[in-house]
Amino acid sequence: MFIVNFLIRRLAQGVVIIFLVSFLIFTLLRVIPGDPVRLMAGGMAPDHVIDQIAEDMGLRDPIPVQFVRYMGGVLQGDLGQSFIRPASGAAVGGASFDDNTRSERAEVFDLIADTAPFTLQLALLAMAFALIVALPVGIYGGLRPGKWPDRLALYMGSLFISLPNFWLGIVLALVLSVNLGWLPAIGYQGFAYTILPAIVLAVEIAPFLIRSLTVSVAQNMRENYISVAAIRGIGHRRIVMAHALKNASVPLLNLLGVQFSMLLGGVLVVEFIFDYPGLGLLTINAVLQRDFPLIQGIAIVTSAAFVVINIIVDLAATTIDPRLEY
Amino acid sequence: MITRRSLLASVGAAAGMTQIDPRFFISSAYAQTAEPIIFLSAENITGNWDPTAHTTLSQKNIEAYVMGYLSRTPMRPDNPDETNMELAESITLLDGFRLEIKLRPGVKFHDGEPFAAKDVKATFEYGALPDRPAQWYPGPTDSFEVTTPDDMTVIVDTSKGGYAASLFIFLASYLPMMSAKDIAAGPNGPLSQRLNGTGPFRFVEQRGNDTVLEAYDGYFMGAPKVSGVTYSFVGDATTRILSMLNGQASIIERLEPEQIETLTGKPNITLSKMVSVENKYLWFRCSKPPFDNPLLRKAACHAIDREIIYEVLGESGSPSKNFISPIKFGYIDLENYPEYDPEECQRLLAEAGYPNGEGLPELEYITSVGFYPKTKEYGEVITALLQEQGFPVTLNVMEVAAWNENLYDREGGGPGHMIDCGWSTGSPEPDLVLRTHFHSSSKRITGLVDPDIDALLDKERSASTLEERRRIIQEELTPMLADRAPALSLFTSVLVHAMRSDLQGLFLYPDGAIDASKAAFV
Repeated sequence: MFIVNFLIRRLAQGVVIIFLVSFLIFTLLRVIPGDPVRLMAGGMAPDHVIDQIAEDMGLRDPIPVQFVRYMGGVLQGDLGQSFIRPASGAAVGGASFDDNTRSERAEVFDLIADTAPFTLQLALLAMAFALIVALPVGIYGGLRPGKWPDRLALYMGSLFISLPNFWLGIVLALVLSVNLGWLPAIGYQGFAYTILPAIVLAVEIAPFLIRSLTVSVAQNMRENYISVAAIRGIGHRRIVMAHALKNASVPLLNLLGVQFSMLLGGVLVVEFIFDYPGLGLLTINAVLQRDFPLIQGIAIVTSAAFVVINIIVDLAATTIDPRLEY
Repeated sequence: MITRRSLLASVGAAAGMTQIDPRFFISSAYAQTAEPIIFLSAENITGNWDPTAHTTLSQKNIEAYVMGYLSRTPMRPDNPDETNMELAESITLLDGFRLEIKLRPGVKFHDGEPFAAKDVKATFEYGALPDRPAQWYPGPTDSFEVTTPDDMTVIVDTSKGGYAASLFIFLASYLPMMSAKDIAAGPNGPLSQRLNGTGPFRFVEQRGNDTVLEAYDGYFMGAPKVSGVTYSFVGDATTRILSMLNGQASIIERLEPEQIETLTGKPNITLSKMVSVENKYLWFRCSKPPFDNPLLRKAACHAIDREIIYEVLGESGSPSKNFISPIKFGYIDLENYPEYDPEECQRLLAEAGYPNGEGLPELEYITSVGFYPKTKEYGEVITALLQEQGFPVTLNVMEVAAWNENLYDREGGGPGHMIDCGWSTGSPEPDLVLRTHFHSSSKRITGLVDPDIDALLDKERSASTLEERRRIIQEELTPMLADRAPALSLFTSVLVHAMRSDLQGLFLYPDGAIDASKAAFV
C-alpha cells in the first residue's frame, strides 16, 4: 500500500514538474529573438508570406493559447512535427519560401526515439566508468580519513572537476584517437565510438561521487553501530561491506539519480565535440535552427526522465533504509 | 595480510585477465575506416532533393557526385574559359539566338531510363519556371524555346527573350540534367525525394546527417574505383579536423588558416588550395537610408583597407579587384575599384552631407561565425576602420542560422545596414553573380534598384558574341558597379581541402564540387 501511495503522490508531483518545465520552455522559446518561420520559409521570403505562414501555423496566437493547443497534442502522445527536419532526420537549412515540395517533416517523437538510445548508452557507460574510479577511491578515502587515501580522493576530485569537458574531449581525442589510434572519436559506427565521450563525461561526474562516498563512509565509520559491531566480534571486512557501505550507499544512490538525470541533459557539449548522434547533438541543432517543437519535445522527455529516475532512486533508498520517508 | 586463499584468487584473476581480448571492447579508429570516401561537410543540406529548389552549396556538391552535366568547366586561373564535354558531345552557336547541343548516346539514368534530348528539354523548361526557387536561368521558360529534332539533338532558341543563346554555354556546365520522367511527376514527385542522375555515384539514402552514395557501375565514363561516398554534415570545425587526423574522414573542407598550419607537413594528409569561384562581399542595404546614397557607399569602401583583411585571412583569401572571381568569365582587375583612401572617404562623406560622419544614424554590420573562415576577425577590422572615418558602426556577430535568417533583402530593406556573405556558383557564368545581385528584378541581398546598372546587365546579356559580352562586362558593367558600389567585394576565397594522402585521383572544382569517378585508395 505504501508503494501505491508513494507512486501516486510522486507521479502527480512529476506531472506538475513536467507541466511547469514545458510551459517555461514553451514561453522562453517564443520571447527570445529569432523567428522560426523565417528559417522555415527561407531568407528570401517577403514579410507578408512570413506572417501568413506564422498565422496559418498559429504562431501569432497568444502564448497561453498556443500552449494549451500544444499540450492537448502531447496528452494524446503527439509531440508534433519538426519545423525544419525532414523524415530522414538530417539537419537541414532553410529552402525558399515558395517551395512546397520539401520532403515530409519528421515527427518529433521519432527523432527523439532514434537518438535517445545513443544518449542512454553513453550515459550508462559514463556512469559505469565513473563508478569504477569513484568506488575504490571514495571508499578507501572514507576508511582512512586524514590519511593519504583521503587526500588522494580529494586531489583527484579537485583535478577532475577542474578539467573543462570540451578541452578534455579534444585532448583525449588527440591522444587516444589521433596519436595512439586506440579508439575512434567522431560519429558513431559501433560501440567503440561511445568510449571516448563516456570517459569525458565520467571525469565530469566522478568527483561528486568520490566526495559523496568519502564523506558518507567516513561518517558511518564513526557511528556507534560500527564500534559495537567490532565488539560483537564481526570482522572488519564484513563491518565495512555489510554495514558501513550499505548505509553510505543511500546518499550515493540519491546522487547517482541526480547525476544520471544531469547526464541526460548535460551531454550537449560532449556530443557536439564527438559528433555523437544522441539527444545532445539533436538539441544543439534544434536550438540553432529555432526548431521549437523539437526543443519542446526534448525538454518534456528529459524532464520526464528526471522525474522517473528520481522516483526509482527514492524507492530504492526506501528499500535500503525503511526509516526514510519520501 | 596475504593468505593462501587470497593469493590463489589473485593469481587466478590475473590469469583470467590475460585471456580477455581487449579488441572486443576497443577497436582501432583506422580499422573502422570504411572503404567509401567519407566527406565531412561544413554545411547542412535542405529537406528537398529537387536541384531547382535550393541554392545550398553543400547540396550542389552532393549533386556533383550523382548528377550528370552537359559539360564541365575546370575553371583554373590560367584558363578560366576551358570547357570539357560530358553528356554533350558538342555545344555550338548556330547564330546569336540559337544553340545546338549534340548529346552523347548510350547514357542511362540511375533508374535505368536512357538519357536523351527530351531530358535536356524538360530540365531547361522546368528549371526556368518562375516558381522554382533556384533562379539560375537568363530568363523564364517563356523567354526561350527548346526543340529536339532527334533524340540526340537539342536546339535552344532565345530569340523570344531577346538575349543571346550563348548564355546557355556556361550554364550547361552548372545545371544538373534531370530525368524527364521525374519532372513529369511534378515538384511533389520523386524529384524532391531523392536524386536520380547519370553521374558516377548513385543516391542510396539520407541516414541522419549522412548522405549515402554508392558507385554506379553503369557510369558512361567507367565505373568508379571506390565503393561509394558518404557525405556527412559535421558542424564543428574542430571535430572535422580531429576526424581527418585520426583517419576517420577521407576529405574535409573549409579549413581555417590555423588548421592549415596544423595539418601542413603531416605525412598522411594532403592539402589542396585553390582560388575559388566565391568572392566574399560586404553588401550594403541599398534600398534604405543611409546606403541608398551611392556617395556614402563609396565613402565606406574607401575607408576599408583590404590589405589588413588579407593579413587576417592568411591562406584563406586571395586578393581580387572585381565583383566576380578571377576564374569567372569576364574578370579583369578594375582600375576604378575602390581602394583604401581616407582622404577620398572624407571628401565623399562631406559631399553626401555627413562631414566626418556627423549626422549619420547608428549603423549595424551583420556577420556570421562558424561557416566562413575568420569572418568575426576581419569584421572587427572593417568595423574599426569605418569607425576611424566617422561611421558609427556596430558589429553584430550571429551564429549561422540567425545570420541566414537576416541575409536577404525584404520590403523596406533587409535587416541592418551592411552584411557579410560570400557567393559561389560552380560555373564561369558571371551573371550568376552579377544579375542575381545587381539587377532590380532580383535584388537578393542589396535591394538595389538602379536603371543604369539594369540597362548594362541587359546589354551584356544580349551581346551576340562572347567576345562582345566580355568587352561590355569588363569596360562598361563592372566599372559602373565599382562606381556605384552596391557592395564591396573584399577578396576571393581560397578553398582549402584536406584529404588522406592515400586517396588519389580526385578532381576538385573551385566551387567545392568533386569528381571522384577516378579516385582510389592506393
